[in-house]
Amino acid sequence: MRLFAPTVFLALLAATVPATVVLAHGPTPQKVDQSVTIAAKPEAVWKVVGTFAAIDTWHPDVAKSEAVDGNAAGGRRKVTLKNGGTLDEGLDEMNDKTFTYSYRLSDADLKALPVSSYSATLTVTPDGAGSKVEWLGRFYRGDTGNEPPEDLSDAAGKTAMNAYFANGLRGLKAKVEGGKAK
Amino acid sequence: MSQSFARFALAALLAGAVSGPALAGNGSARAVYVVSQEGATLTPVAPPGAAIAVGKGPAQVAAGPDGRLYLTHSDIRAVSVVEGRTGAVLARFPFAGQPFGVAVAPDGRGLFVGDWSGGRVVRLSAATGAVEGSVAVGRDPAGLVLDGRGRLYVADRESRQVSVVDTATMTRIGTVPVGEGPFALALNPAQDRLYVANVRSGDLHAIDTATLTGVGRAALGGMPYGVAVSGDGARILVTNQQAGTLAVLDAALQPVATIPVGRYPEGVAVAGDRAYVANWFSDSVSVIDLSSLAETARLPVGEGPRGLAVLSQETP
Repeated sequence: MRLFAPTVFLALLAATVPATVVLAHGPTPQKVDQSVTIAAKPEAVWKVVGTFAAIDTWHPDVAKSEAVDGNAAGGRRKVTLKNGGTLDEGLDEMNDKTFTYSYRLSDADLKALPVSSYSATLTVTPDGAGSKVEWLGRFYRGDTGNEPPEDLSDAAGKTAMNAYFANGLRGLKAKVEGGKAK
Repeated sequence: MSQSFARFALAALLAGAVSGPALAGNGSARAVYVVSQEGATLTPVAPPGAAIAVGKGPAQVAAGPDGRLYLTHSDIRAVSVVEGRTGAVLARFPFAGQPFGVAVAPDGRGLFVGDWSGGRVVRLSAATGAVEGSVAVGRDPAGLVLDGRGRLYVADRESRQVSVVDTATMTRIGTVPVGEGPFALALNPAQDRLYVANVRSGDLHAIDTATLTGVGRAALGGMPYGVAVSGDGARILVTNQQAGTLAVLDAALQPVATIPVGRYPEGVAVAGDRAYVANWFSDSVSVIDLSSLAETARLPVGEGPRGLAVLSQETP
């Protein structure tokens, strides 16, 4: 069974959810965990993925991404998704030696992703002659109350976050292996 | 069997965030437990034991003086009571709200439970779960810690403050401004310092509990999600979710060590010369030797471990 195509899923969501709600983080986090192997050295993968704000060069769901304040802790990216939602994300850690970075969402935009907050880490490690890229995170459902509507539940958040990460990694793999644009 | 068994004494007051005062007494033994939210389990980690099924989504846990553990289940509006030694689930109290942080009165008769979305702390009878009082605090109360005088400190996550509650009257007697996103709290053994881990601003605040003013701040970076203090008060331990580390500071908040642990570490608790760190993403608990400041073991536990509690039992 496949996940929803995220564009379809997010379009459905956008129709039912007010876009400007700023939500607090709830009490019960959920995991998102995706990985991919890429037939290229970690250095080559990092060259593509290691510039935080350059996500628009490899993520197929991203329309554009603007850098704010550089590629180190404290730096940010303002991502506009193809569904029209935006993600304002800030870097907490950036390590060019171990090929990993960690970041978090600032304010929720339920039009972008049906979650109220998240933090995530992307890591590139050697895997045989190639690389493995892990993208994992911790998020809170879109409605953090005790009776969330279905489209803002833990399950909806899991589906959307896993799809967003999986699509991204697929795009990254295609870009690095094929050298082609997303 | 219970005749010869130890009498339980006052233990750590709060799950996941706090080390209890060092206990006097002969041959006091401590048992450490962790709750796993996704796994819906309570797992004894020291001494290690089999996971106990406790019902959906336990987030935090606190130890009582009578060998009982109190678990909050945020998403199913419940607080459960588990006997630590046997693992028996003794009761499940309904809670009209979203229970999260929990602390137990020193006499074991009352529970203080934070209502996350309700912005209040409720006092329940530990015996029956009946509501005995309530006090409004800030938005999204997270960690709770109770001192020996009956004063309750509450990390108001979305209000950038710690609320201070007199539990005898259930009134809020003050608030102390802290960083952004305060989540976990810990008192030192002398109870003259309260440490506050701020998730969003990535720092630790120290509060003088006599004056209720801030007396120190350490910038840590990342997302500090748990804090505990060593039994001698000399070491402050802070988990950093983003980095996957346990930061060790001295009482002047100067860095001493950074210890790699599992992914997304959350709660940390101290028992004797060891610290225990719940690695939320890795589904494990790291055991840290506080003299060598190194990880000595990593124990698999139920999925999504978060809060820890330390039960103390004194042998006569």
